[in-house]
Amino acid sequence: MDVFPAGHPLLQAQQLKHTFRTGRCALQSVNVTIHAGEMVAIIGRNGAGKTTLTKHFNGLLKPTAGTVLVGGQDTRRVSVAQLARTVSYVFQNPDHQIFHGRLFDEVAFGPRNLGLSGKELDQRVASALDAVNLAAYVDRDPAELSRGQRKRATIASVLAMKTPVLILDEPTSGQDYQESRQIMAILQQLHQQGHTILLITHDMELVQEQAQRVLVLGDGQLLLDGSPDELFRQASLLQIAGLRRPPIIDLQHRLEELGLTASVPTAESLAAALASRIQQGPSVHVDPTPGRNAACP
Amino acid sequence: MPKITIDNLSFAYPDTSTEALKEIQLTIEPGEFVAITGATGAGKSTLLRCINGIIPHFQPGTLQGAVYLETSAGRSAVGRVSTPHLARYIGSVFDDPEGQIVSPIVEEEIAFALENTGVDPTQMDERIQHALDDCGIAHLRQHPTNRLSGGQKQRVAIAAALALAPSILILDEPTSELDPDGTEAVLHVLSELHRQRGITVIIVEQKINLLAPLCDRLVLMDQGRIVLEGPPRQVLRQADVFTQLGIELPVPARLMHALVKEGALPPLDSPGAPPVPLTVDEAYTLSQALLTGS
Repeated sequence: MDVFPAGHPLLQAQQLKHTFRTGRCALQSVNVTIHAGEMVAIIGRNGAGKTTLTKHFNGLLKPTAGTVLVGGQDTRRVSVAQLARTVSYVFQNPDHQIFHGRLFDEVAFGPRNLGLSGKELDQRVASALDAVNLAAYVDRDPAELSRGQRKRATIASVLAMKTPVLILDEPTSGQDYQESRQIMAILQQLHQQGHTILLITHDMELVQEQAQRVLVLGDGQLLLDGSPDELFRQASLLQIAGLRRPPIIDLQHRLEELGLTASVPTAESLAAALASRIQQGPSVHVDPTPGRNAACP
Repeated sequence: MPKITIDNLSFAYPDTSTEALKEIQLTIEPGEFVAITGATGAGKSTLLRCINGIIPHFQPGTLQGAVYLETSAGRSAVGRVSTPHLARYIGSVFDDPEGQIVSPIVEEEIAFALENTGVDPTQMDERIQHALDDCGIAHLRQHPTNRLSGGQKQRVAIAAALALAPSILILDEPTSELDPDGTEAVLHVLSELHRQRGITVIIVEQKINLLAPLCDRLVLMDQGRIVLEGPPRQVLRQADVFTQLGIELPVPARLMHALVKEGALPPLDSPGAPPVPLTVDEAYTLSQALLTGS
């Protein structure tokens, strides 16, 4: 990954426009640059253009107008196979991706195409399956696994590729709480190792906890490029983009009306702030009719 | 309006040594809204399949005990009721919005369910309209199904189930692929059907923070067993069980537990303890009351 030092502009969309054959304009003039080593969440309603945008970064879609550069190269001039060495992709629906009858072969498919074989290949597959808790299923037919397990199988496939960029469409859908945590821990670790990670997600808690940068899409346009904190303070934008604050942020903002703050909002830190205020005695400054409309979209 | 009685139910899938369900005992009253949660492999979906009859009618395995539907006419085990008959009582909706819609146009999708059960064509128009109205998607009647959003597709799936006028709706993670708007729309429809039509709703969900304010009863499952069940405010008192089972405790309840730890509130099992908040609004009201000393 030395090819892409941290901060290097790695994925660039310039005046990107995409119109489908049906005539629907899915992206209109999107400008965005993702730098090497970033962890970026892409959010918005179903149909906002999130998947259309990210499919330009692995070359599955080519711009109708404008330019997309991956590692400085115009995706129109590079094959999808070539781009697969830089960018790997987990689709929203695992069944659009899985095509082998044995889990090992499914996960080994990408690395084999990179020219790996023998022990190195075995090791890659084993550690990828281990990371997503599917080691015991290595010889099973993916069709026999649950949807959540199949989703993790596709995540193992991209882990085995070790590409500089990973794009994941709804990595935690169909997962329970622990599994979601585990997947996020894996991605966090890859991020720390210098991988660039793009997440498409509807899970606002995940956005709040994991992303440094958020791209909000709505009707094919980039509505916001900023931090999760900036996003959660813009009630009108949240409404336009069909998003919700995660409950903990909602609670934090509501308690701010009571003059309570916590630098890292958790239920525990907010409770501690509240408890210490109670010890100071009943407050006379509390407005009995707080500006509820200001905090709740 | 049948009552559902699950009596000592155990089930093992073929060629497995461990039981997916172990000695399940549960009664669901007519018109109850029950939310079931738990980790992957806890047996949630298997339990739903035993209630709607997929087990044993379509899924083989070793079944012990039984699920009964009880009406004023008597009680019958789900395994002994024919599936067309079951379909009139119980409607089912699954997690994948793509996988359960078969028709190109919304109204045809609803009509398909009616045709399959031999509903008189003269009644169809009204039944379709009713079902779409109840799901808040009357405006989508002539829409192509492949142009719908995930949230709209799930509401079409619910409408298709509703057109058969079931008294019980069973849903397996219906919002797992939906955006926040779609999730809210689907849960709103369920809550209205429950409130206004008195339909029994049994839903498996991970999003307990959204379900807790809506449901009458919360059921926590782990490794094939029911570990904890009761009204949400009661169940959410047992934070330790949530931790043990790896289930996320909703933020409002977490705030309350943290306030007890801080000594700002008495222990939750003591007589004067306030009820566990289910929403951010309730958590806010509780915090405000503590601050003003009321």
